[in-house]
Amino acid sequence: MIEFFLKGTPAWKYWVILSTRTQEDMAYRFNYVFGVVFRFLPLVTTIYLWYAVFHSPGYDGTQRMGGMSFSDMVSYYAIMFVARGFSSIPGMNRDISVDIKDGLLNRYLIKPMSYFWYQTMYRLAHKLVFWFVALFTFPPIFYLIRQYLQHTPTLLEWAAFFVSLMIAFWIGILFNFMIGTLAFWFLEISTFLFVIMVMEFFLSGHLLPLNLLPHGILSWAQWMPFGYEGYWPCMILIGKVPPDQMGKVIGVGLLWVAFFFLTGKWMWARGVKRYSAVGG
Amino acid sequence: MISTLGRYSRMTLLMMKNCLIREMQFRSNFVIRLFTEVIWLGMQIVYVAVLYGVTQTIGGWNVWQMVMLLGTNHILTQLFEAFFFDNCTKLVDQIRLGDLDFILIKPVNPQFLVSLRYTDYASMTNSLVGFAMIGYAIHRLGIAITPLEAFLFLLLIVNGILILYAMTFCLSVLTFWIGRASNLFELYYQLTQFTRYPGEIYRWGLRIALLTVIPMLVVSNFPVKMLLGGLFNAWLGYACAIGLIFFAATVWIWNLGLRRYRSASS
Repeated sequence: MIEFFLKGTPAWKYWVILSTRTQEDMAYRFNYVFGVVFRFLPLVTTIYLWYAVFHSPGYDGTQRMGGMSFSDMVSYYAIMFVARGFSSIPGMNRDISVDIKDGLLNRYLIKPMSYFWYQTMYRLAHKLVFWFVALFTFPPIFYLIRQYLQHTPTLLEWAAFFVSLMIAFWIGILFNFMIGTLAFWFLEISTFLFVIMVMEFFLSGHLLPLNLLPHGILSWAQWMPFGYEGYWPCMILIGKVPPDQMGKVIGVGLLWVAFFFLTGKWMWARGVKRYSAVGG
Repeated sequence: MISTLGRYSRMTLLMMKNCLIREMQFRSNFVIRLFTEVIWLGMQIVYVAVLYGVTQTIGGWNVWQMVMLLGTNHILTQLFEAFFFDNCTKLVDQIRLGDLDFILIKPVNPQFLVSLRYTDYASMTNSLVGFAMIGYAIHRLGIAITPLEAFLFLLLIVNGILILYAMTFCLSVLTFWIGRASNLFELYYQLTQFTRYPGEIYRWGLRIALLTVIPMLVVSNFPVKMLLGGLFNAWLGYACAIGLIFFAATVWIWNLGLRRYRSASS
């Protein structure tokens, strides 16, 4: 059916890339199963650690920290796996920078396709297999921690959550693409990429909810693009974003997507002109 | 016996020397590795700082005791990575692609050779940061450490590295049976989560598991307890016994796996 609709259109070739890569990745689906299941182990330590904090001397487990109860905290970390499942695009910026640095980009430039969409389809294929596996592995894990999932999201929250996941995915793709193209100007950026990765890990709220940070840091950290890669989707679904704030949260996210899309396009156009097409 | 020991020590030193020569050809890479590991550690310190911003003790551990645990954990993981981790990851490809042939034809114990072939000096240097953290925390706690305690601390560190080696090596050796499974190493990374925090935060069922079948508390909590003066002699003997049992298991599984080795690429 897809063939009927897409064949002959410019989108057809990208569909072929996507389906080929998906089939390739499916061959290693059991490797994905290990990856998906093991990644939940930190949730165990996190639950115990926060339980200890919420029951340390002076607390009895009912207090709130940064406006969050213990249940909110566990829900936050659990939903973080879903959000990062959309926003984390491991290795993309490194692969792009290596393609540029070693002159491997040649083999893509001579083909009648966009390198950006090629990379996007490649990463999307990874995500599709990841989510296929997650379809079987996530529900049992969420069932195990059901006692902590106390907030019932409203229709608005569900809708905003799905939009925020799309924003998370596109910020992940567009930001990493932009960072990868820096290799046109700087030859060796692997250290820089590591610093970016750590920043992303921290400022996305993956390590700890951003609202536990001192107020001065929080007020700008939450509007940074990284917040959309984890913090906001989680906060929306656990009901910490009031309805009148929802428009602002989603709006700023969409602005970041637009910003990275335009900046990335511009940098790519400038970069390709500088590209020397040799290895080094 | 003595001559065998001498021969293997000489070989170890020679392999380490070769790696040092190789490392010195890429000095900027060495500095970058130091830098990145320190950033990673810094982030963990921020995490602990935020936690102790809202509470005084976690599982009965105050902030400087927690810093000692963080430092100990840093020493353990860095020294383990310095000596064994690269070797364990490389072993997977050696088995899969049939490169193990070149190891097996040499007149040395193959497990010794595949386990200690490469040394990572950046990680080794980095472990010093962990010692500095422990030193500062001891100073802030105002406790005195006897030479015996310091010695037993180091013994428990070595024991902990041995346990980490045993678990990771066994994961690599699984390649003999299941072929390609790079995500298995994800298990190593995720299991080291359990070494980062005090054992007191876990419930008894999990705590017993972490003391026996996955002895992550023996790895990281025991050395700190030794310095804090809360580890009984019986526990010390127990820790060493666990270390020896785990090491014996690697030899057994390695030999079992070798029988399945097909010396062919897949």
